Amino acid sequence: MKKIFVLFIAMLLTFSLVACKDKATVKEDEKDGKTTIRVVYKDEGPSNPVAQAYFSNLEKALKEDEKIDVKFELVEVPQGNYAEKLNLMLFSGDIPDMIYFQGGDQQIAEQDLLEDLTPYIEKSKHIKNILQPYNEKRLNNYPYLLWIKPLDSKTPVVRGDWFNQLSSSKELMENPTIDNYYKFFKELVASAPGGGKPANAVTVAGDITELDFIFEMAFGINQTWLKKEDGTYEYSKASNKEKEKLTFYNKLYNEGLLDPQYLTKQWDTKEKAFYDGETGVIVGTSGKVIDIYNGKMTQVNGEEAELVVLPPAKGESQGFAPTDITKEPRGIAISSQSKHKETVFQILDYLASPKGQMLDRLGFEKEHYNITDGQIELTQKYYNEWYAKFFEPSDFETEKPLKTPLLSEPAMKSQELAKEYYAEDNSFIIPEEYVSKWDAMENLYKEYATDIITGKRPVDDFEKFVKEWNAAGGEELTKYANENIK
Amino acid sequence: MKVKAIFTRIRKDWVIYLMLLPALIYFVTFHVVPLIGMKLAFQDYRIIGDNEWVGMKHFEVLFSSPAFFDVLKNTIIISTMKMVFFFPIPIILSLLIIEVRNGRFRKYVQSVVYLPHFLSWVVIAGIWISLLNPADGGVNVIRNFFQLPSLDFMTSKDHIRWVLVFSEMWRSAGWDSIIYLAAIMKISPSLYEAARIDGATNLQQMRYITLPELTGTIVTVFILNLGFFMNAGFDQVFNLMNDSVLSVIDILDTYVYRIGILNGQYAYATAASLFKGLIGVILVLGTHFISKRLTGKGVW
Repeated sequence: MKKIFVLFIAMLLTFSLVACKDKATVKEDEKDGKTTIRVVYKDEGPSNPVAQAYFSNLEKALKEDEKIDVKFELVEVPQGNYAEKLNLMLFSGDIPDMIYFQGGDQQIAEQDLLEDLTPYIEKSKHIKNILQPYNEKRLNNYPYLLWIKPLDSKTPVVRGDWFNQLSSSKELMENPTIDNYYKFFKELVASAPGGGKPANAVTVAGDITELDFIFEMAFGINQTWLKKEDGTYEYSKASNKEKEKLTFYNKLYNEGLLDPQYLTKQWDTKEKAFYDGETGVIVGTSGKVIDIYNGKMTQVNGEEAELVVLPPAKGESQGFAPTDITKEPRGIAISSQSKHKETVFQILDYLASPKGQMLDRLGFEKEHYNITDGQIELTQKYYNEWYAKFFEPSDFETEKPLKTPLLSEPAMKSQELAKEYYAEDNSFIIPEEYVSKWDAMENLYKEYATDIITGKRPVDDFEKFVKEWNAAGGEELTKYANENIK
Repeated sequence: MKVKAIFTRIRKDWVIYLMLLPALIYFVTFHVVPLIGMKLAFQDYRIIGDNEWVGMKHFEVLFSSPAFFDVLKNTIIISTMKMVFFFPIPIILSLLIIEVRNGRFRKYVQSVVYLPHFLSWVVIAGIWISLLNPADGGVNVIRNFFQLPSLDFMTSKDHIRWVLVFSEMWRSAGWDSIIYLAAIMKISPSLYEAARIDGATNLQQMRYITLPELTGTIVTVFILNLGFFMNAGFDQVFNLMNDSVLSVIDILDTYVYRIGILNGQYAYATAASLFKGLIGVILVLGTHFISKRLTGKGVW
C-alpha cells in the first residue's frame, strides 16, 4: 500500500512540475514574413466571423495604405464576465500584444505589463490630434489605456408621442428644475398616454446610479468629494446634499413614480419595460446606446414614438453627473512584453486616420454601406449591427458625403447634451490598502440608500449611516482625500 | 505481499479498472494537482518573475477586514438553514416517489422534479423574481386571495434567506433524491414481502425497513455535504442579490469574487478559499469520527 502511495505522490509531483512550467509566454510572431499581432478584444474572437472579416480587411488596408505587413491572431476569451476571464488569462502568463480592457487593467498595470503610451502618442500622426480634453487628462493620470470616444454620460429618454401629449413637457424642456421633473413624472403616470400605461414614470437597472445621472447635480452633488465652506472635502454620499436627494427619491418611490421593482430590474428587463410601455423614462448611455433604444422603440411602436432626450435636472448645478478623469474606464492597451509595440501603436494610429476611420466607423462596403451617386448610403444592417471597435472622434468626416447620418437624431442630441454639460470629477483611484474597506463602505451606502428610498428606514437614519460609514473606514479615507485632492 | 494481491486483482478485473481510469485522471488533473496552487495564499503573485513569499499577510488582511466576519456569519447562517431545512427533502421525496405504484406516472414525476436541476441560476433567478413579484407574482396573488397583504420577498431582509432555501430546494431536491432512490432500489424485496405477510402497513414498512436501510447512505451524503458547508451557493446568491439585502446574503464566495477575482487579487482569493476548504475538511473529518463512534457508520 505504501508503495502505491509513494507512486501516487511521485505522479502528483510530475504533474505539478508540468503544471507549474511555462509561466509567462510571449507567443511567436513571424508567419510567412508577416508580423503576427495577437489581439484580445471582447466579443471579437476567432469564432466571430464578423471580427475575422474586420481584421482581415484591416490587414489589407494596413498593407496597402501604410506598408505595414501584419497578420492578426485573435484570441478567444471564454464566455462570461470579460474583465474576469481576461485577467485570468493574463495572470496565467498569456499576454497578447494588443489588449482591450473593460476593467481589471489596474492590476496588470501595477505589474508593469502595460506600456506607457505617452511617448507613442507624442510622436503619433493622428491620435494626438483627435484626443479630447478628458482623454488627455485621463492619459496624464494613467497612461496605459487609450479610448477616444464621445463622453459616455447617460441621458434620460422618453418616447416622443407620449411626451407631446403632456402639458408639463414644454415647461420641463425650458426649465428642467427638480419640481418640473416631478410634475412631468406625475402627469406621465396620471394621464397614462398609452391607455393605462405607463405604470410608473421612471425605472433603472438595479440601483439608483442611473437616476443620479438626471438629478444628482441638481442637488449640488457635482463632484465625488465636495468642498465645504472651511475648504476641506467631504464624501458626497455622506453629505447633507445626499440626504436631500434620497428624500426626493423616497418621494418618487412612495408615489409610484419610481418603479417599485427597480431593485430587481436588469438592463434587459428595464429596456423591455420601456418598449412595452410599462415605464415612461429610462436612462441610457449617450450616442450608440440611445440610437439602439430609438431603433427598437420605433420598430415596436412606430415612427411617432421616436425618442426625446431630456435635459439634466437643474438646481444647485446642472449636468449628467461629473466625469471621472482618473483614468479611462476601458480601452486599448499595449503589452510591455510585446516585441512589436511600435507596430501595434502604428496600427492604432492608422485606425485614427481618415482611412482607418472609414473602415472602423462604417463597416464593410456592400454590407454596411453602399456608394451610390457619389454618396455613402448606410444600410439597415449598419444601424442594427455595426459599431466602431476602436476610436470615434466627434469631428469625423467621411471622404464622400453621407446620405443618412451615422446616428439617429435622438442619439446625436444625447451626445450634444453630454458634451454641453461636461463637468470634471475630483475622484481618485482607491489605494490598494483601502480596497476591502471601500467595498464594505460602498455596500453600507447601497443598503442604507435603498432602505431610505423604499421606506424601510426613516430618512433620519441617514445620520446613523454617516456614523457607521466613518467607522467603517470613511474617516480614514476622508483624511486621505483631503491630503491628496489638489 | 499486499501490493502483489492488489496488482493481481487489478489484472483480473482490468476492464473495470480501465473504466475507472478516466474518472481518476479527471480527479487528479482537476482536483489534486491544483492543490499545489494553494501555496499562492502565502505569496504575492507576479505574472513575470518569481512570486514573493509573504507568509500570513493575506490571511491577516482577510481576518482584519470588518466585512469578512459579516460575510462569514451570513455564510454560516445560510448554509445551516439549507442543511437543516433542505437536507431532509430529497429523502422524503425519494420515499414518496417510490410509493407511486404506476410506473409511467412515477417516471413522469421523476422527470418533472429533475428538470429544474438543468436550469442555470440566471434563469431560475428570473423565474423566482417573477414568481415573488409583489404586484402580480404567483405567490402574492395567492396571498391576496386569502386576504393577506403582498410581500416584497426579494427586497426583504427577513425573507430573502428563505428565498435562497426554497429556490435551492426547488432546483435540487429532485436531482438529489436520485442517490436515495438508488439506495431504496437496492433493499431486498424479501424484507418487504416478510413485513407484508406480518401485516405491516406501507407506513410501517417505510418506518421499519426503508429508513433504517437508508441510514448508511444518509450519513455518507450528510458528511460529504458538510465538506461543502462553506459554499453557500455563489451562483444562486449572485443572481438573487440586490442592494436592499446585501447585508444578509453577501457570502464568502461573493465577497471573494468582488475583492479577489474582480480586483485581480488572486492570492487573497486563494487565502479565503483555503480557509473555506480547511473548515470543510475539519467538518468532514469531525463528523465522520463522531458518526463512527455513535452509529458505527461513516464515510469509510
